Amino acid sequence: MKTEKSSISSNISGVIAIILMGFPVYWMITTSLKPKDEILTVNPTLIPHHLTFSNYIQATTKDGFLQSLWNSVIVVFFTVIISLAVALFASIAVARMKFKGKQIYVASILLVQMLPLTALLIPLFLLLTKLNLTDKLAGVILTYVAFVLPFVVWTLRGFLVNIPTELEEAALVDGCTKPQAYRLVLFPLIAPGLVATAIFAFIQAWNEFLLAYILLSSPEKATLPIWLAGYTNRFGTDWGPLMAGSTLAAIPVVIFFSLIQNRIATGVTAGAVKG
Amino acid sequence: MGRVTILKGAPKKDRVPKKIWPYLLIAPSLFCLALILGFPVYRLFTLSLEQYGLREIIAGKGTFVGLANFSETLQDPEFWQVLRRTLIFTFAMVSVSIVAGAFLAHLMMKMHKRIRWVLNGVLILVWAMPQLVSISVWRWLFSFDFSIVTALINSVGIDFPKHNYFVNTLSGFTIIGGSVAWGALPFITISVYAALTQVPKDLLEAAEIDGATSRQKFRHVIFPMLLPVYVILISLSVIWDFQVFSHIWIFLENRPGPEYFTMAVYAFQKSFGMSEYGMGAAISLIMIFVLISVTWYYLRQMMKMGDE
Repeated sequence: MKTEKSSISSNISGVIAIILMGFPVYWMITTSLKPKDEILTVNPTLIPHHLTFSNYIQATTKDGFLQSLWNSVIVVFFTVIISLAVALFASIAVARMKFKGKQIYVASILLVQMLPLTALLIPLFLLLTKLNLTDKLAGVILTYVAFVLPFVVWTLRGFLVNIPTELEEAALVDGCTKPQAYRLVLFPLIAPGLVATAIFAFIQAWNEFLLAYILLSSPEKATLPIWLAGYTNRFGTDWGPLMAGSTLAAIPVVIFFSLIQNRIATGVTAGAVKG
Repeated sequence: MGRVTILKGAPKKDRVPKKIWPYLLIAPSLFCLALILGFPVYRLFTLSLEQYGLREIIAGKGTFVGLANFSETLQDPEFWQVLRRTLIFTFAMVSVSIVAGAFLAHLMMKMHKRIRWVLNGVLILVWAMPQLVSISVWRWLFSFDFSIVTALINSVGIDFPKHNYFVNTLSGFTIIGGSVAWGALPFITISVYAALTQVPKDLLEAAEIDGATSRQKFRHVIFPMLLPVYVILISLSVIWDFQVFSHIWIFLENRPGPEYFTMAVYAFQKSFGMSEYGMGAAISLIMIFVLISVTWYYLRQMMKMGDE
């Protein structure tokens, strides 16, 4: 009885939350489907009178769309792969090993998260100029990796700590070497952790604007957010194609997330010890 | 490179000495952090001790002034106002977004499958919206000429004239805060929800058999298991909300008045607006110092955890 009752109130709250949270998203999508004269009016309508795909056509045929899409894909791909690999090694050390200087390492990882990005912009730009990495995707990728690393290391460490050491020890007894034990036993078990952190790194790299804006100057190097920002200038914002482009930019994240979310939820670790 | 020589040099059985393994494992991450952040952080420190303005930019060299930037900042009443405003804003933001996110996650456990599915989808969409775009849409919602909210209020039949929501700072900060919380909710809700689904069912059943009410179940079973997740989420929220910049910058069309300055905006304004880069660096360092003090408990906990 009790659960039935609470379920109704939570369903109602759920619907309210969907409306409140979803409204800006809804507005983005409907605007992308409205003709120009229906967009910026004093009396905007919730539902477009005339559905049109002209904004999508306009956005996708504009110069640089495919190029910036491709750039973003490259940046995201390498940011996710590199940060996960590098962080996985580090998190094994932090979660599983004792070593001198560990506290300092952990402290510096945590402190990096507190650095205000806006304060580092200039020295970062100067540094990358010296390294000849400005206006190169590699420079952006390296910077993104550095900024997402702390979160990824720390989250993976959390997943690793929850995996009983008995599992690796058993593998060692069975004649595995240590790297083998990690590869064959630990790696599959932290898959959900890798997935969760991959999403985090993916979204950060896909949506990041400020750093990319400072570090990349030529239009053919622009990532999607920079390309999107091109729709706003001092004369105002060209909302229709901007919303169409943003909707398109959100699709890969949604696909990536839905492919991956089941894996987090199933919790691969659940039966590992009992089995 | 180092790795290869070690592999060759050591005896075959224990090719890599045990003691070196952890250092090999953290080396790539240290390299990356040191390469990208080492110099900028060092430069931030040195810059904060220099007089560095337009003249120095042209000369390409700052003048060393010791702690003058710090003492000038700390004596400036505006600094204390900004700090107070930022702390209040951070506190409000963290409480609202954590409470709302946790509440929503708990509700999600009890929702009808379809509603949960839609809500989940909405949260992901919110997360997936490029920040620049989502803030622009929020600005549009509350703009002066074409405000969607004003239009909605009018369409319900209430006569509500054109309204500048940002003249009153309380109303302005509420709207900015709303967009910040809105953007933070997906991450918080999805994390808490994921943690909730990890609470073993047999534990809850056992508690139920022992006659625990749902409130007791929450207090004695769920809450202790979720505590680490909350600690991390709260601390990350503090760090992120304390540094809010883009929201204020975009909402107020790249020229926020001093009544809208938070620490990050203030530091940015000093550097790029007034070309006092040394002063901006000093303010940024003070910001980091405040953040460290505010999250001191979390840092200690984390370091202890990391040391286990």
